[in-house]
Amino acid sequence: MAFQDEILCSKSHEYVWKNNTIGLTDYAIEQLGDIVFLELPEIGDEFNKGDAFANIESVKAASEIYMPISGKIVEVNTALVDSPESLNEDCWENGWLVKIETTAGEEELSDLLTYEQYKKELE
Amino acid sequence: MVKETYLHEKHVALGAKMVDFAGWHMPVQYSSIIEEHKTVREKVGLFDVSHMGEVIVKGKDAIAFLNKIVPQSIDKLDYEKAVYCQLPNKDGGLIDDLIIYNLGINLYLVICNASRIDEDLNWIVRNKRGMDVKIDNQSHNYSLLAIQGPKAIDLMKKMGYKIEGQKSFTIKPAIIEGVHLLASRTGYTGEDGFELLVENEYSEFLWDKILEDGQEFGIKPIGLGARDTLRLEAALHLYGNDLDETTTPVEAGLSWSIPKDKIADYNGKEVIMNQLKNGVDKKLVGLVMLDKNIARHGYDVYYQGEKVGHVTSGCVSPSTGKNIALAYIKADNDISIGTTVQIMIREKLHDAQVVKRPFIEKRNRV
Repeated sequence: MAFQDEILCSKSHEYVWKNNTIGLTDYAIEQLGDIVFLELPEIGDEFNKGDAFANIESVKAASEIYMPISGKIVEVNTALVDSPESLNEDCWENGWLVKIETTAGEEELSDLLTYEQYKKELE
Repeated sequence: MVKETYLHEKHVALGAKMVDFAGWHMPVQYSSIIEEHKTVREKVGLFDVSHMGEVIVKGKDAIAFLNKIVPQSIDKLDYEKAVYCQLPNKDGGLIDDLIIYNLGINLYLVICNASRIDEDLNWIVRNKRGMDVKIDNQSHNYSLLAIQGPKAIDLMKKMGYKIEGQKSFTIKPAIIEGVHLLASRTGYTGEDGFELLVENEYSEFLWDKILEDGQEFGIKPIGLGARDTLRLEAALHLYGNDLDETTTPVEAGLSWSIPKDKIADYNGKEVIMNQLKNGVDKKLVGLVMLDKNIARHGYDVYYQGEKVGHVTSGCVSPSTGKNIALAYIKADNDISIGTTVQIMIREKLHDAQVVKRPFIEKRNRV
């Protein structure tokens, strides 16, 4: 099964994979253009759904990234901080941002979209 | 109502990402800003800058009129020469920055920023009272194509243009591929190159021809995104960011462009001359970030715990790999080249060093 078939997407263009891995969608990356800077949170930081937890910058602009579900950061993709431009190649398997432990229940997941639904929304 | 240039369909067909800029629907990038930036630094790029304003100033008092509205000496501007100018208000603050060309006896071309054309025309009309001068806004009739980069000259030659002796900041009428145009050896990238002023109806043909002939030189169409990073590396001011009605040319680091011996009176002369003599309260400086963070327009600058100014432009510099910025800072302190200051980015202070402008070596002085 492809990675994208197992993700849920927020309307602010973040995805969550198997309730534990968070990243930005290909559409978000495409819109941002050349990624040149990424700032990720510390392990142990806790965020609620909708909180800004990371900062990303392209050549043109700076943006915040929001939590698609609540959780505690247990791992950050430090390799990506050193080479944020690789997000332009792969924002999925190697391009995840953080891993979390979550207690998010059904209600938090209810407004997230499957990748297929998300792509439709963008049309 | 957002305006489109005559080349709009070309941009869309090339897959450009389009944005609204100064009331125009313009290509911000075709492939990648960094890739486009490097193409201009290493090869040659083609820009559609038809959103820029073109205003003809003609009549018996054309020189006297232009001398009244810019600090530069238009009476000393020779035939087919161009000069970088500013349009100050009575307090020396800048309404716009311009390039003025001498096209013939009492005939001048003024190129201005798309975002400022209405303000410029307003100001110009107010200043021409009692003078024998006609102002003819030709912006809607002409397209402007820029060819920029180390291969720009080879490309112009391939298209049959005879450059022989045409220096930087000069303009000549020419026929390229059968199209009548004006070829100006100017640009906004820090590279050598030309800006071609052509009647709208020939712009599409010329655009295609340039891309076709430029293939062997590795030409690419370049969007406004790379135009911004290219001009910032060259420390060329962007109106609305680095220049506005609260900044004088002296504060903006443009004293080099202002003749000290101009006899004619002009708007803002008293303030500008006084600042040249006695100094300024704020000045524009170049900054290089000392960590990975990027300074952006509007961020505050600190020195020894005190807020001393703000960033007006900032970006990654694809040519140097550094993060660069322009900032206005208070002039009454010991900040100079080499000094470390701090930029407030997302509520944290990040070190930046004051450096010389431009950030790269310019190659457009011929």
